[in-house]
Amino acid sequence: MQPADLEAALRPSVGAHLLGTEPFEGTAGRVRFAREGALDVFRAVKDRLGFRHLSMVGGIDWVDHREVFYVVWSDDARQYALLSTDLPAADPHVETASSVWPSANWHERETWELVDIQFDHHPDLRHLLMPDGYAFHPLLRSFKIHEPEDLEVKSRHV
Amino acid sequence: MSEMWINMGPQHPMTHGLWNLRVKIEGELILDVDPEMGYLHRGIEKISEDRHYNEVITLMDRTCYVAGLAWEHLYILAAEDALHITPPERAEYLRTMCDEFQRVGSHIMWYAAFVQDLGLMSPFLYGMRDRDLVLDLFQSYTGARMTYEYMRVGGVRSDLPLGFTDRARRVLDWLTARFVEYDQLCLGSAIFRKRCDGLGVLKATDCVEHGVTGPMLRSAGMKRDLRRDRPYAVYDQLDFDVAVADGADVTARYLVRMEELRQSVRMLRQILDWLDRHPGPAMAEELPRWLGAPYAPVGKEGYLLKRNYPKGVGFSSVEEPHGEAQAYVVNEGTEHPYRVKFRSPVFANISAARQYLVGYHVADIPPIMGSVDVCVGEVDR
Repeated sequence: MQPADLEAALRPSVGAHLLGTEPFEGTAGRVRFAREGALDVFRAVKDRLGFRHLSMVGGIDWVDHREVFYVVWSDDARQYALLSTDLPAADPHVETASSVWPSANWHERETWELVDIQFDHHPDLRHLLMPDGYAFHPLLRSFKIHEPEDLEVKSRHV
Repeated sequence: MSEMWINMGPQHPMTHGLWNLRVKIEGELILDVDPEMGYLHRGIEKISEDRHYNEVITLMDRTCYVAGLAWEHLYILAAEDALHITPPERAEYLRTMCDEFQRVGSHIMWYAAFVQDLGLMSPFLYGMRDRDLVLDLFQSYTGARMTYEYMRVGGVRSDLPLGFTDRARRVLDWLTARFVEYDQLCLGSAIFRKRCDGLGVLKATDCVEHGVTGPMLRSAGMKRDLRRDRPYAVYDQLDFDVAVADGADVTARYLVRMEELRQSVRMLRQILDWLDRHPGPAMAEELPRWLGAPYAPVGKEGYLLKRNYPKGVGFSSVEEPHGEAQAYVVNEGTEHPYRVKFRSPVFANISAARQYLVGYHVADIPPIMGSVDVCVGEVDR
């Protein structure tokens, strides 16, 4: 499967919310979509393209915005594909994938607590790795584990 | 009878690590379960963001205590993908050998712990005895028995010591004979069969829905193995069969792992023969200076080189002893990875616990969770 195949299969049902596809080495390609079309993308990727196995959901804090990426696997094509969407840092929320792939449940819980991304209509958005009531999101870039001067020393390998 | 929630864990012999299985019961019947994780969360993904690419390898050994080399391989593949580095072929063979020896060690460890959960003490001791031979081999070429730090971006740290392949073949001969005994001890035991047959059934469709991979998925009759379906390192040059069973229960998972042990031995013999015939470098020759050694001096010159770090995203996926592990490494042109994300197969396998535990009895939990092969270090990371 090539990025063009992904585009051709997704365009009819997703429409303008599909922002494009690009090659990604070792996979069928990467699909970029707008968060408004998230559920349409998930359904089409699973039912039309046959990516029935969701392997991983993760989040990246790019400081000015955040990114959620999904890795899916197709047993027929024996290929992975990546899906990703950008969210504004001020209001980072996206529809949950767990209604389409139940395996997204825990991955989204983890992404919510570590990268502070809200998953709408998630059945069970509780803390998973951090204790209940933990008020921080450790994988945000603003969460520092060293003092700045420690970092200086470390990067010089003194 | 009234319903109630009980805690199995965080310190319970069944857990094999530090986690808590909350179980809702009515009498002996399991109505619902809710695994609680996070007791071993060390923030490996966060710590990696402050480390040099080669320094992350140290953390990979601590990710899973029975499969450190498999996790090193996973990370190395993603980092090499992000940094556009190709290792020499001999390094690829050495890494594959590490993976398969690690699988043998991990599955024997699983066997020992699993049968002990069932109350069979002798197989536990036999398992630990035989795994030690594999650890001795690791010690002879990596210098360590658990935290190896053997692989490097661009190759492996050192080549094999003299006489290693012959010693390894003798260990394989010994293990092959022991696998027959393992089967006699377990499959021939009526008590073992009564405690395992028909328990913890998870059909292939449910496995796929809930992200379950590895021996659990193959025990449901689905022939998916990344070593065959998406070959990495040198798996496309090795002759092996994918182990499957069709019971989808605890016994089927036992059968799959035992067959995988035999297949691993088969692959290892091919790899050892190849290594004997093809001496060569085990490290890429044209490495950027900042990757040549784990603590390369990064002074004035280092800052100049820093500008040349390529930007990119690396993605890798390996068939770890527990299932499919993935790494996603984002490189933003500095000496540290910008973001590292790992997928642990056990994480997904435990998240489906409700699917294979509800409807069974409390006494069935140790064999069922034992057959999942839990390693908490890689779940919590």
